[in-house]
Amino acid sequence: MPEPSPLTLPANVRIGPDSVLTGSETFRRFFAKRDPAVEIGSHCHLEDVQLALGPNAHVRVGDHVFASHMLVLCEEAISIGDRVFFSFNVVLADTDFHPLDPALRVADAIAISPVAQGRKRPPIATAPLRIDDDVWIGPNVTILKGVHVGAGAFIEPGALVTRDVPPRARMLGNPAQIVGEV
Amino acid sequence: MALPANRRLPNDWYDGVVPAFVEVHAEAHIETSFSFSACRCERQTAIRLARGVHLYSNTLFDVGPQGEVDIGECAMLNGARLICESRISIGAYAAISWNVIFMDCYRLPYDPAARRSLLLAAGHSQPIVDPREPARPITLHDNVWIGFDVCILPGVTIGEGSVVGARSVVTSDVPAYTVVAGNPARVVRALPQPGAPSA
Repeated sequence: MPEPSPLTLPANVRIGPDSVLTGSETFRRFFAKRDPAVEIGSHCHLEDVQLALGPNAHVRVGDHVFASHMLVLCEEAISIGDRVFFSFNVVLADTDFHPLDPALRVADAIAISPVAQGRKRPPIATAPLRIDDDVWIGPNVTILKGVHVGAGAFIEPGALVTRDVPPRARMLGNPAQIVGEV
Repeated sequence: MALPANRRLPNDWYDGVVPAFVEVHAEAHIETSFSFSACRCERQTAIRLARGVHLYSNTLFDVGPQGEVDIGECAMLNGARLICESRISIGAYAAISWNVIFMDCYRLPYDPAARRSLLLAAGHSQPIVDPREPARPITLHDNVWIGFDVCILPGVTIGEGSVVGARSVVTSDVPAYTVVAGNPARVVRALPQPGAPSA
């Protein structure tokens, strides 16, 4: 197998000591303009994590965070605490991607098309996503915009989290419901 | 596919061999040895692939030291991920779609304080597994069909002939000849049993 080529780190990405970031897709859709746009703490292992960031995005990752094959879709702010464990295929999104209003969606469809001719996209709802310390997140979990996951929570595999999660709650389902406490 | 003596697969994109702990029937088909690259098996035979089993490329066995996986005749795995610390058995004629996750063990405890010490000690090369974490076997009886992106959680048994709808999360046992769907999965209908008069 060919040796993986080293990542070229954008200048507005900061990584703490003993943290590892791997994957060929990590910055494939990276349009972040803030500086810093990404702040990763120490002792993290982020394998094939795609940071799909818009111009105003800010992503913060604490210390001792582990993730693989995760997709981070950020237009505003995503904050991850310390010792958060992500199983594979997790999606985090702090944006709706497109407007809800049908008329605005037509305008949006044109603005992102090849015939946009400089038209600007209509405003799209975003809300910061926050995951506190010591959270476990199972495989195939999706966490949507505006959600605050409390410390020590346990998100069961396949859950789709649309609302705030109290500290130490065990969540399951689509939409995710509290099924217990840890 | 009778494996050659060096256990190297023809046209394998991954530079590896089929490990000795995988027992492969001469008429089973494996696309790539990458499927076994995450295994840490200590049993002499940990994975058994019966006659007519076919494994496609994204199928990944993530089997711990004492894990055992048994796959029955003519079962097809088209990109599943099997996290196994005890036992996962899949019956004959199974159809397992892409991104299906079998996990017989969470590998980390529910208690955040207990997780904290494991994560603080973790490095970059070894998977983070608490060996004390209980594992509960998963059993699929014959002729089960699992839709894409399904998660099957520890201890689940799925009865003969049943179907699990796409993106379901199966948290409890599924009776035979039943369709379940949803997250968490619920029974949505019954299927005709073989020999039963059709309606």
